[in-house]
Amino acid sequence: MLRVAVVGCGKIADQHAEQIAHIPGCEIVGVCDREELMAKQLQERLNVPTRFAEVQDLLDKARPDVVHITSPPQSHYPVGKLCLEAGCHVYVEKPFTVNLAEAEELISLAEYKNLKLTVGHNAQFSHAANRMRKLVAEGYLGGPPLHLESYYCYDLGDPGYAKALLGDRDHWVRMLPGGLLQNTVSHGISKIAEFLNGDVPDVVAYGFTSPLLRSIGETELVDELRVIIHDGIATAYFTFSSQMRPSLHQIRLYGPKNGLVVDDDQETVIRVRGSRYKSYLEQFVPPWDYAKQYIVDSLGNVRKFLRADFQTGHGMRVLIQSFYRSITDGLPLPIPYKEILRTSRIMEEIFSQLSSAPNTIRIGHREKVPVGQS
Amino acid sequence: MHKNNLIIGFDDPILITGSNGFIGSRVVETLLRSGFSNLRCFVRPSSNLTHLQGTLATAQKARVEMIHGNLLSREDCTKAAKDVKVVFHLAAGIEKTFPGSFMNSVVTTRNLLDAVVRLGTLQRFVNVSSFAIYSNWNIAGGGLLDETCELESRPVERADAYTFAKLKQDQLVLEYAQKYGVPYVILRPGAVYGPGAHHITARVGIDTFGVFFHLGGSNQIPLTYVDNCAEAIVLAGLKSGVDGEVFNVVDNDLPSSRQFLRMYKRHGHRFKSIYIPYWLFYSFCWLWENYSRWSEGQLPPVFNRRRCATYWKGNRYSNQKLKDRVGWRPTVSFSEASRRYFEYVRKTS
Repeated sequence: MLRVAVVGCGKIADQHAEQIAHIPGCEIVGVCDREELMAKQLQERLNVPTRFAEVQDLLDKARPDVVHITSPPQSHYPVGKLCLEAGCHVYVEKPFTVNLAEAEELISLAEYKNLKLTVGHNAQFSHAANRMRKLVAEGYLGGPPLHLESYYCYDLGDPGYAKALLGDRDHWVRMLPGGLLQNTVSHGISKIAEFLNGDVPDVVAYGFTSPLLRSIGETELVDELRVIIHDGIATAYFTFSSQMRPSLHQIRLYGPKNGLVVDDDQETVIRVRGSRYKSYLEQFVPPWDYAKQYIVDSLGNVRKFLRADFQTGHGMRVLIQSFYRSITDGLPLPIPYKEILRTSRIMEEIFSQLSSAPNTIRIGHREKVPVGQS
Repeated sequence: MHKNNLIIGFDDPILITGSNGFIGSRVVETLLRSGFSNLRCFVRPSSNLTHLQGTLATAQKARVEMIHGNLLSREDCTKAAKDVKVVFHLAAGIEKTFPGSFMNSVVTTRNLLDAVVRLGTLQRFVNVSSFAIYSNWNIAGGGLLDETCELESRPVERADAYTFAKLKQDQLVLEYAQKYGVPYVILRPGAVYGPGAHHITARVGIDTFGVFFHLGGSNQIPLTYVDNCAEAIVLAGLKSGVDGEVFNVVDNDLPSSRQFLRMYKRHGHRFKSIYIPYWLFYSFCWLWENYSRWSEGQLPPVFNRRRCATYWKGNRYSNQKLKDRVGWRPTVSFSEASRRYFEYVRKTS
């Protein structure tokens, strides 16, 4: 039985706990939060035997095998280090760390200690993402992707998060080097990082504060981001937007032969043929083919729902389960360390470019100056 | 309000949290109208203060300080509570998640209580709770639900983050009263209605599935008009001799769900509704609850028997304690209150 502990008892901890409860062969033995009341409420609701305010106490007394770190990102590195030093495997919520140096250090420590470490990029394990991965492995694209487009949008109309963030000048999200972007874009960036090869890709970033946020007096948060990435072979576009509709969570992959459009909201994987039909058939046949694919995907989703395999937290459950199996059965990690580092490196480069020209970030859309080149 | 019956003078500082909210702004209005001239209104920095500022503009002689802050900050709480004699604590965390609701109701209340304990000037902490925290699980349909009834013992099963947080908030106030002798009064308003809140109370029905399900049937609805509720809060908060008491707030002449819905449609806003009898919806909740468990949360257990009983089983309600101990009488009758409310609904629909 794997002994699991959760550090940080906020909203995301609930999602972890819910998924862990449905995974056989593990149990939550302790929860920890510096705000004792938060630890107490989670302990009470989950019926967990112990709660702590200090991580060291949790490690000493509850003696977990795995620790899930769901506290704010600024604490990921120090808490992760403490847990690894105590001999625990660690699952870190996204964003992995505040910067690349911390990410590298944590991974080195995990390797040195022969412990397992992963990051909460659970969007990579949705039903659709898993089908996409299978198609790519089977060679549907005709080779490695040549170009990728990742959309990861965030609707700031969500009252819970937006109210807390916009109304609080001291909110921890504002204290991150990349602000709101750092707390949200890693899902979309990691989807690109999975298919890149080079360790140090070129990055050109352009960001600004949306007119809507500016109209309510927000001047610090960058909530619109466009990025171009190139690893020498493949290129990628990344879009983060709080304003565009639909609020997409999508990745498009284009290989030498065919393409794929993967939609995480609709859980669809659409195959896009690279070859063309003769003459007008190109206008007649492909739409039917797409319609057929959407119908099949829709029925597949209904089937999964009827089999009770369609929980909102499915991706997280698969990721946690795969991580636990890598610990207990010695299987490979669900997310290779190279990929975690590549995501961290791209994100660090984006934030570095945005922060080097803060004035341009906020008015950039008017001056039409790409931030990376200003 | 006669000063001999009050625990403070008209010039003593009073703090109102959630002062920009639906009930909070009416509490500020009532305090000003009653002659209290030293108010401190705690508001979030992002709040739209148009309505509150309109209220304040009518009382230019009073000293009203606006404190922009966050109750999650201990410094903000200390700043707000400095020298205050009475705290009307109306700020609440209405969020879908348990941690979110808990943090914004309980951690905030703890910060505020710590501040008043440290500062040592408080004469009463007026905690505005909710009817939602009662359990009628062991009360027969139509039975009386009053201040002596048991509180919800399984809030997690009810899958209601707000109830959980409000229960814990009340427990915390009692804990501080025992540990540090914080003098308190708890008020538990029923379904508060009036201009400013367009929605129809869930005790009448819900429109979750795109059609309005009328679930209340012939049940009495524990309504309280927002101005009456604010007066009850102010009176109970300032009246001497009621420390440590809990008061439910409901108006006189409570209508049935069916009557209220009919009036709402006729005078406020027309829409289609389908009546679902209690036994049928209770069975649906039982099925939903079991499906949720079987499917490992594929559908969250938001429809469950405990919640169904709380909202739609049907009880009788009393405001006798509030009348006897505080001397409160609803100043706006149901006919006048509903007229004002439906007029607002009509205008904003």
